[in-house]
Amino acid sequence: MSREKLDQIAEKEQARQSQFDKRIHCCISTACLSAGAGRTIQTLRDSMEAAPIGDEVEVVQTGCMGLCSRGPLVRVQEKSGEEVYYADVDSECAEELVAKTVSWDHAKAKQQEISPELQTVRDRLETARKKRSLKKHILSPDLPFFTKQFKVVLRDVGYVDPEKLEDYLAHGGYESLHKVLAEMSPEQVCDEILQSGLRGRGGAGFPTGLKWGFVRREESDVKYVVVNGDEGDPGAYMDRTVMEDNPHQVLEGMMIAAYAVGASHGYFYIRAEYPIAVDRIRGAIRAARRHGILGKSVLGTDFSYNADVRIGAGAFVCGEETALIHSIEGKRGVPRMRPPYPSTSGLWGKPTVINNVETLASVPAIIKNGADWYAQIGTEKSKGTKVFALAGQLTNTGLIEVPMGITLKEIVFEIGGDVPGDAEFKAAQTGGPSGGCIPNTHMDTPVDYESLQELGSIMGSGGLVIIDSTTSMPEFARFFMDFCVDESCGKCVPCRVGTVQIRTLLDKIIEGRGEPEDLDKLDALCKLVRSTSLCGLGQSAPNPVLSTLRFFRQEYEALIPTNA
Amino acid sequence: MITLSIDTKTIQVAPDTNVLKAALDNGIHIPHLCYHPELSISGGCRLCLVEVEGQDQPVLSCGLTAAEGMVIQTQSDQLKELRRGVLDLFISDHPLDCVVCDKAGSCTLQEYAYEYGLKDTSYEPTVSSTLFQDDNPFFLRDHQYCILCGRCVRVCDEIVGVHAIDFANRGFETNIATPYDGPMIDSTCVFCGNCVQVCPTAALMPVSRLQRGREWDLDRTLSVCGYCGVGCQIEYATKDDAIIYAQAPEHGAANGSFLCTKGRYGWDFATSPERLKQPMLRRDVAHELGLTEEPWALPETSPLDIRKPNVEQYFVPVDWDTALEFVSSRLSDITESHGPDSIMGLASARCTNEDNYLFQKFMRAVIGTNNIDHCARL
Repeated sequence: MSREKLDQIAEKEQARQSQFDKRIHCCISTACLSAGAGRTIQTLRDSMEAAPIGDEVEVVQTGCMGLCSRGPLVRVQEKSGEEVYYADVDSECAEELVAKTVSWDHAKAKQQEISPELQTVRDRLETARKKRSLKKHILSPDLPFFTKQFKVVLRDVGYVDPEKLEDYLAHGGYESLHKVLAEMSPEQVCDEILQSGLRGRGGAGFPTGLKWGFVRREESDVKYVVVNGDEGDPGAYMDRTVMEDNPHQVLEGMMIAAYAVGASHGYFYIRAEYPIAVDRIRGAIRAARRHGILGKSVLGTDFSYNADVRIGAGAFVCGEETALIHSIEGKRGVPRMRPPYPSTSGLWGKPTVINNVETLASVPAIIKNGADWYAQIGTEKSKGTKVFALAGQLTNTGLIEVPMGITLKEIVFEIGGDVPGDAEFKAAQTGGPSGGCIPNTHMDTPVDYESLQELGSIMGSGGLVIIDSTTSMPEFARFFMDFCVDESCGKCVPCRVGTVQIRTLLDKIIEGRGEPEDLDKLDALCKLVRSTSLCGLGQSAPNPVLSTLRFFRQEYEALIPTNA
Repeated sequence: MITLSIDTKTIQVAPDTNVLKAALDNGIHIPHLCYHPELSISGGCRLCLVEVEGQDQPVLSCGLTAAEGMVIQTQSDQLKELRRGVLDLFISDHPLDCVVCDKAGSCTLQEYAYEYGLKDTSYEPTVSSTLFQDDNPFFLRDHQYCILCGRCVRVCDEIVGVHAIDFANRGFETNIATPYDGPMIDSTCVFCGNCVQVCPTAALMPVSRLQRGREWDLDRTLSVCGYCGVGCQIEYATKDDAIIYAQAPEHGAANGSFLCTKGRYGWDFATSPERLKQPMLRRDVAHELGLTEEPWALPETSPLDIRKPNVEQYFVPVDWDTALEFVSSRLSDITESHGPDSIMGLASARCTNEDNYLFQKFMRAVIGTNNIDHCARL
């Protein structure tokens, strides 16, 4: 399909949307769905059907709006662009919301007869009109939770209907893909990404443009692009949200990568625990194929590309790129030694780009606005924005996107709204089971790859767990060590046996059987596992213990009987 | 060729050689458990760490391709400490009952623990699997000794091409298993025993050697397998003139370090009382030739119909000259009276190519017939 036809679809959709005075966005992402958003959107739709007036208001299903702890979330968008957020919208609240949003202008009333069932709903709406409980659901747009964020990856997430290609097109979708195909050489695309300073958002922070350049320069009949959607850190759901809520954005980023490196085929590797993401990515692939965006002669050019979905089987380590490749190839999901790196010998032994979902989702915006625009966001070495899944003991938890370089203090105390109740903030844990705990004294640290590493933590894929004063740090470390023991693949001995021995030592200390020399022993063992493990999982598995030993050693010492 | 320096020794190796192989081939010892020269690289045992000049962190020498001008250190305090730490973890998950272990003396883990002075693990001993599988007559699988180096899995997949076993479960629970952990006999296993040979510990042991002597009690005799014409080199480990087990020597010319099931386990004929050790002539023929005094007539029952024929009853032992003399005179007689085409030669697959070549030459040039065939074609 040509660019013109896509533009026509986009314009038609824009025109259709502009005929509504108001649009009610209802989040149907996993967090809100589990809070009851399925019922909320059904009530919204039923109420609109039963309302005497309804043509001027559209109910739209959208993705995540961020403040997941207050879901189901609903946003009313005026034609003027003005927006009001409503939190904790249950069925009752949804009815009141519809009752107060529609105009009740009987002159424009629908004439048709309505069924007795709808009449009941209409009666309820009449009652709901008189209620006054909606106000307490309103979230102020001036909340630091909203104002402190800077959205690049999540810009359209929460606005676009994830199951509707037309909506993505109406938001400027696939313009960047068209731009690279029409105006840029693959080399230029790689350079542009390199210039932007984009680094891998899976956690390691390798410059994306450099990685693409390696694969572009490889000579091979076949090359692959793999989207790593095997997000596994406990509490992290950035990638899930982007895949669920704007699947076309990931697909577009993937196709730009494919064009840049000369790949003709690609895979989305998504963990089986993300069924909605799998469905929506599959839906996006089907829709893109139908519209000639995916397949032979993409957008009428010489570039051909196909993508498929491969589902993980529940192993955390399959997020590691070599293990991921084995998994796609149908082998046991265990990492192998590098080199050779996947950029020279990846999937089926062919040059392969493996990028994280968030990395690829950043690409369309960079192409659209230019590398310089992106490079001005963030710090000198860490450019752009980072999505975090804010979890733990905080008033506001959810999904946020912030510019690199923002301090942890701003994230925790302003966006997160501090620790609720009487408890006090104790530590922020970044990077999931591979990361470390950052104490109160280091909260002025800017969030960038290097600064977090200096503190013995890592940027990681974006999990950010807040721990309050009621949590015991040794027990917290043991929780993550349990995770690593469970998720070790068993290939190399430091990870397979070392993590078990670390946990045994932690058990001993926590149960009050520790001896004074156990702390040094624990420290030495952690360092051994870190420096001798085969892959990133083992190398970073001791981080939660090492960082808590560094910043909260007194808690460990307090557990050791003094007469021992 | 690529020139590199390992422990100040200048070494030349072919391109694409890994540093571990380069070192081992040149007499420089680097500890390793998962590496095997004939198998693909795994990198799981983490012992063959070396220091490379210009790199901050130690790297595994098995996965490091030798490059021109590379400067490698295989021994340093840091490396010793790391290897010792890793070995400490290995033996925390391994019974330290070397005093009663049949593998003692040829166990690589024992050798390294000794080398690095580990008398005991400094951790809480925790053996991950206590599975003991005795489901075939050839070898035992005792998982508590397994260190999951994966050599058995790779040899089965890469050399034998059978892939009867692989890793099952994950993490600390990982073990080596047949599909669905069914009995070995129901798997695709061909019982070649190459897994047993490459196993560095007592996890896989030949049944024949259990409690029959420690490694240092055994004598070793290099021989050539007689089962087929390939000519595999084979090493018999014996004690008091009894074979304890057979294995391939390192670098056999025809077989590398591997054997098939016949060569490895099919040696009980060597000491069988039924084994023929010299030529024999039938009693009636021997009598005709004046070798025996008693006349003898062939019984009506064919010896083939008797389940365990008593060879002595039918035959008498003779020396080679007598036997060959008899054969050659009979062949000449038959050729003269009935023509060369009345004779046919059937060669054996157990002979070498050279033997078979000579045999057909003998049939064609000496006897004068083209009636020559081979058992493998039947």
